[in-house]
Amino acid sequence: MSTVRELFLSSIQEFSDNIAVVGDNKRVSYNELGSMVESFSSFLYSKGIKKGDTVVILLPNSIEFIVAFFSVSNLGAVSVPVNTTFKKEEIAYYVNHSSAKLILTQYQLKLLVDEISSESNIPYSIVEGKSPEWNTHNFNEETLPDVPIDSSDEAIYLYSTGSTGKPKRVSRTHHNLVALADNHTQTVGWTENDNILFTVPISHTYGFGNFISSIKIGAAIFVLGGFNRNRVLDLLEEESITIFPAVPVMLDVLAKTYLPQPKDFSSLKLVISAGAPLPEKTFNKFYEKFGIYPRQLYGSSETGLISINLGDDIKNTFNSVGQHVRNVVVKILDESGQEIGINEVGEIVVRSPSMTTTGYFGLPEETEKAFRDGYYFTGDLGRIDQDGFIYIVGRKKLFINISGNKVDPVEVENILLDHPNVKEAAVLGITDSNGVESVKAVIVSDEKIQKKEILEFCRERIAEFKIPRTVEFRDEIPRSPTGKVLREELK
Amino acid sequence: MVIEDRIKKVLLENALEEVDPKEINNSSPLIEYGVGLDSVATLELVVALEEEFQIRIDESEITPETFETIESISLHIAKKL
Repeated sequence: MSTVRELFLSSIQEFSDNIAVVGDNKRVSYNELGSMVESFSSFLYSKGIKKGDTVVILLPNSIEFIVAFFSVSNLGAVSVPVNTTFKKEEIAYYVNHSSAKLILTQYQLKLLVDEISSESNIPYSIVEGKSPEWNTHNFNEETLPDVPIDSSDEAIYLYSTGSTGKPKRVSRTHHNLVALADNHTQTVGWTENDNILFTVPISHTYGFGNFISSIKIGAAIFVLGGFNRNRVLDLLEEESITIFPAVPVMLDVLAKTYLPQPKDFSSLKLVISAGAPLPEKTFNKFYEKFGIYPRQLYGSSETGLISINLGDDIKNTFNSVGQHVRNVVVKILDESGQEIGINEVGEIVVRSPSMTTTGYFGLPEETEKAFRDGYYFTGDLGRIDQDGFIYIVGRKKLFINISGNKVDPVEVENILLDHPNVKEAAVLGITDSNGVESVKAVIVSDEKIQKKEILEFCRERIAEFKIPRTVEFRDEIPRSPTGKVLREELK
Repeated sequence: MVIEDRIKKVLLENALEEVDPKEINNSSPLIEYGVGLDSVATLELVVALEEEFQIRIDESEITPETFETIESISLHIAKKL
């Protein structure tokens, strides 16, 4: 098995009668999912999609997202999953940068996508919600060509956030994704009997990795379009969820949410925390309510899954992202690029069969810096203990981590500078006593502006997680003699 | 403590840590202080209110009208007590 299509076909044959996806009051078996993908592939083919084309999937977690992804792969085309909470300019960037041939979206986003489509001349199709262009009954006629797909063909473009002002495109091949699913499932030991709840977006590398592994193993995927804590609590009990990938803020909120009556969470066997550091308070509070400790996972858009903490001594290693997964090599290097000893802090570098082999599209300098000697230089600082447990202790890169969503401060600064009354702006991450990061903007202005005005200005232009929570007005922004913003002085 | 005072306490501890308590009264428009603009922060505030009053507030109840002022939050919570 070396392509996504083969992975999918193998699962629909082997687990034919198992439930594959549950969402929006529908339950779809693997066999039915196979038929839906065949029909959707015909639909895409009728839209002119062929091997090598890129298709933007602008959908929330849904049956349609899953069908769309496997159908795009089935035709040898490339999926570009995009977060539905992004604003117009952000979505337009992904659409244009990926040279998309088609945008697949939901009725709820019709007006927004209509504008993007008119400006970019890239067509779109509504495939979810009211009046979908596709459904299983109206697209079974087209005969699909037998498209040869090689394991080295591109399967997906994910975008990675840095400090370059715009997200960087990372291509992952069919081989990369199949290797990801293999290494993931063989490490974590999931089975076809598992019920896995997806409230983290499948469009993001973390959700995506768990999703493709779930399909590979024949598990049941429960999809939620957004994080609704009461719905999550109900589903955990009603659907006997066994695996729950989350981000720390979700776990914190769930642990604090009031329960009028006790609930039975005994089916839960693995709760995963990723995207941001897991605060000790959340770790303990979650256990008190659910009787299970969350376990940290580490990964990136560039490499896919790197490690997961499946250790027996979780109480004492809760702040570790665990040991590397199967077939993945993790090293800690010092400034000169030499591997360093146990518990010494340096940069975490990774080699994995699921990592991109082409680096960042159109960015040779950035690629050269981050990909060296077969390793990806994560920019994260960390150490590895005597048992191989990896601990992340900081980062070399400038980005801000908001509940697992990475924010490029330069992108937010550029937005702020578009405001007519903002003369200078500096954006940075600040951390509270629980280690939770938030966005802070420092603004220099000749005119009197209110925080509310700044927030509203941002709200119209960028996704909510990028909007500064703290806004400070100053007379000037401290800079080094070379003009570099001294961000440490602004914390 | 009356409901409004308990709500103010929760707000000051969870959403308005940097605001001078004297600045806020029961009819101050909370949006002026950023309340309701950030969904994660709003959710954290709702969870803290649930904990304080031992009530369940559904996501559908988190509307700009409900969270306009301490007074409007109080009216909403009073119905559940």
